[in-house]
Amino acid sequence: MSILQVNNLAKHFGGLVAVKDLTLSIKPGEIRGLIGPNGCGKTTTMNMLAGLYKPTRGDVRYHGKSIVKLPPHIRTAQGIMRTFQIPKLFSEMTVEENMMVPALATSTEKTPEFIEALENKATEKLTFCKLDHVSHLLAKQLSGGQRMLLQIARGLMVEGLELFLMDEPFAGINQVIKETIMDAIMEMNDNQGITFLIVSHEMSSVRRLCQTVCVMHEGSLIAEGSMTEVANDPLVIEAYLGGQNAASDS
Amino acid sequence: MDLIILTQYVLSGLVIGVIYALMAVSITFVHGMMKVVNWSMGEYYMMGGYIQYLLITMLIGPSLWFLGIPIAFAIIFMLGVVIQRYMLHPMFVGESERMDEYATIVTITLMILFRNLAIIIGGPYQYSVPDYFPPTDLGPLPISGNRFMALIGTALILGILYYVMKKTWPGRALLGMSQNRIGIQTAGINVRRLDEIAFGIGVGLAAAAGALLAPVFLVWAESGSVPTMKGFEIVVIGGLGSIPGSIIAALLLGLIESLGSVFISSEYRDLFGFVFLILILIFRPNGLFGDRERLA
Repeated sequence: MSILQVNNLAKHFGGLVAVKDLTLSIKPGEIRGLIGPNGCGKTTTMNMLAGLYKPTRGDVRYHGKSIVKLPPHIRTAQGIMRTFQIPKLFSEMTVEENMMVPALATSTEKTPEFIEALENKATEKLTFCKLDHVSHLLAKQLSGGQRMLLQIARGLMVEGLELFLMDEPFAGINQVIKETIMDAIMEMNDNQGITFLIVSHEMSSVRRLCQTVCVMHEGSLIAEGSMTEVANDPLVIEAYLGGQNAASDS
Repeated sequence: MDLIILTQYVLSGLVIGVIYALMAVSITFVHGMMKVVNWSMGEYYMMGGYIQYLLITMLIGPSLWFLGIPIAFAIIFMLGVVIQRYMLHPMFVGESERMDEYATIVTITLMILFRNLAIIIGGPYQYSVPDYFPPTDLGPLPISGNRFMALIGTALILGILYYVMKKTWPGRALLGMSQNRIGIQTAGINVRRLDEIAFGIGVGLAAAAGALLAPVFLVWAESGSVPTMKGFEIVVIGGLGSIPGSIIAALLLGLIESLGSVFISSEYRDLFGFVFLILILIFRPNGLFGDRERLA
């Protein structure tokens, strides 16, 4: 059974159709790429999957059950985490507080043992994401790449994380941190079986990480397959280059 | 001018500033958390005053006046939760593009409703609450017992608020929401519940201010107008959403009003604050402690 099944998903903003009849299926343990030209509806799709946008129509099924009416925090509690191209952090809090606040604010248990266990978990996840040396800094003091890593580390604090939705995790990030993020994704996938849906414009990263890639154009899914397959798909080439128009322009 | 008299005026200004601070903090708290301006804040202040008046005259008596403040806070907190849940929350459902406008319409409607309800129920009368405390001295400053208690009460309430926000995890979650609303939702926190708590605390603080200042400014249907006007003035001076900014701006406004009254004329007391506000808007449009927005 698919971990995530999207059926005929559509999102309209007034007269603008951002996503139309999107259907896709992701198997557990997969690292799936979602690519497409700017404005094709990738982020809107991610927002609908995370519960930030209510679809105009269609269904989203997680482990076979519809989650389309669930608010974002319930989806997170069920094991779906989402990161953003511009990291959504608590800028005036320390890195460690960013890790701890969600768990402690939602838990009724506040015993010293629970808090200590949580602190240990936060330290472990920060070490995993190579952020342990900056745990005392305010989030706003971090570099862009470190902020992205902190979003990922914070996602790992979610109990029972199964599906990680990542929106442009490599955008504007230096090569060293990009490598750290890719290593983290592969390790989480190999060792914890976490499934990923990654939106990215970084084709080399997508090629390295994703077994299957979905391509969107003007709100629709136009191709699906390995990176090599979609790269040679005439529809994809036309979507990215403008097809014959581009050829005639040049 | 005699140094002692000048000190008295400075102290007097600071006392007024602290009293203003509570109302300003309640306004900026709601704005900081929910990013909406609550135009009915003065009416929660007014209701806090009425609750205190009713409690003192009918239930607890003048000697237990201090119990009225947490009671007023609790009652208006619950009212705030209900209002947030059923009148303001619908704005946050879906992807409303005109959230601010809806909030403005809803809260102005509530302002008119509550003010007229107060006139219908309490009549067009001003009610006086018995003094909380006899006149006393604050260093070289002779001060009315009511203002002295308002000073102590405000400091205490702001101290509790600081503790809750900085030292408790639910408080930090509220701070997290004020810093990144989407971040807090996707981190697994029920933002709807936080909104209710934030709005409840904000209006509860206004009610506590109304109960605390009931013997200073009297209780009547429009008693919230002046504190609200001062509160918004302070919030803009301090910077929208900045609680420390509101406290410092409140102290500055109190000082300016007090010293302006002495050196220029007490008739223009309210004008001094507005001149200060205009200067701030010209030279620091985001307020003393407001974040500068990146435009491009």
